[in-house]
Amino acid sequence: MRTANRIASVLLGAALLVGGAVTAVQAVLLTVHRRAPLDTTGWWDALSATRWRDPTVRTVATASLLLGLALLAAQLRRWAPVRLRADEHDGWYLHRRCVERRLADAAAAVPGVRRARARLRRHHGQWRPRIRASGDPAARAEIEFAVHQELHRLTAPRPARVDVRLLPRRRPA
Amino acid sequence: MTNAAHRLLWTVIALLLVAGGAVALAASLGTLPGVDPAAALLSADVVDRWRTAAPWSTLAVAVVGALFALAGQRLLARELRGPGGTLRGTLSHPGRRPGRTRLPADVLTDALVRDLSGNPGVRRARVVLTGPAPHPDVWIRVDLTADAPAAGVREHVHAAVRRFAATTHCQPAHLDVTARIEPAPQ
Repeated sequence: MRTANRIASVLLGAALLVGGAVTAVQAVLLTVHRRAPLDTTGWWDALSATRWRDPTVRTVATASLLLGLALLAAQLRRWAPVRLRADEHDGWYLHRRCVERRLADAAAAVPGVRRARARLRRHHGQWRPRIRASGDPAARAEIEFAVHQELHRLTAPRPARVDVRLLPRRRPA
Repeated sequence: MTNAAHRLLWTVIALLLVAGGAVALAASLGTLPGVDPAAALLSADVVDRWRTAAPWSTLAVAVVGALFALAGQRLLARELRGPGGTLRGTLSHPGRRPGRTRLPADVLTDALVRDLSGNPGVRRARVVLTGPAPHPDVWIRVDLTADAPAAGVREHVHAAVRRFAATTHCQPAHLDVTARIEPAPQ
């Protein structure tokens, strides 16, 4: 979402710059009765012929309303943090995506475990790793151990619990 | 611009879109008082007033267009400028005797970057100083190699910051270190 916001802001800035400049030039040329680069008579006619109850107006209004609501939901929901605090005192943070990748690799290195994915969130002031993988359900304890070991190696705080969700591997028919 | 500023900007835009869409929909459905749904978007009355007010109406549009263009230029400049508030210029310390010690801030950050990169576990380091010169806020980002011992690198970073504070007489008011770690080799 952060990258999307930045790209959207660059596009908005460019659109405002170009649109505003063209509007200003057009209006100044019209004021001094010079030939303007854009022919706006068609727009005047279209707006004069369109009525409020026309389906086009309803479609555009509904689209604007829905787009606004979608944007609002995307901005106001809770975002996953970019980084997680490793220590309360010395200002050391670990990049969340990197740690997730390391935890997934550590879980996938356990024998009999495949396609491991890791998610890391902060929950009540503590790190809460969640591992999803396919493999033998008996490997749960080994995955938890591997995750604790990896977090210890990265000098991350020890989590109170590690959520492990193991999906049994489908056997070929 | 910060992430929070972007979030605020797009929340405001979303609210404007919702408000505009709701008002237009209400006008279209005939539930907005004072607007006849059978009327044209640009009624003859509005067109007449526009023509009567010329040239002031077109001049007003020119001013509004220029303001929009200026806002777009400011937004683009802020987007493309990178992190704001970076300490640039010269750090100046008064001496005990008459005279001052002056140091360009870039030299200080480069020195800290070189010190940080001295550890084999650090692949890349980036340092940004913000805030007032005697007690700047120090923002560090270190990219660690996959096999780097995180505890050792952490101690190295803090030792480098201590050396930086001792040699420059700049005790950081706030230290913020973000570590990125490469994925383990397969």
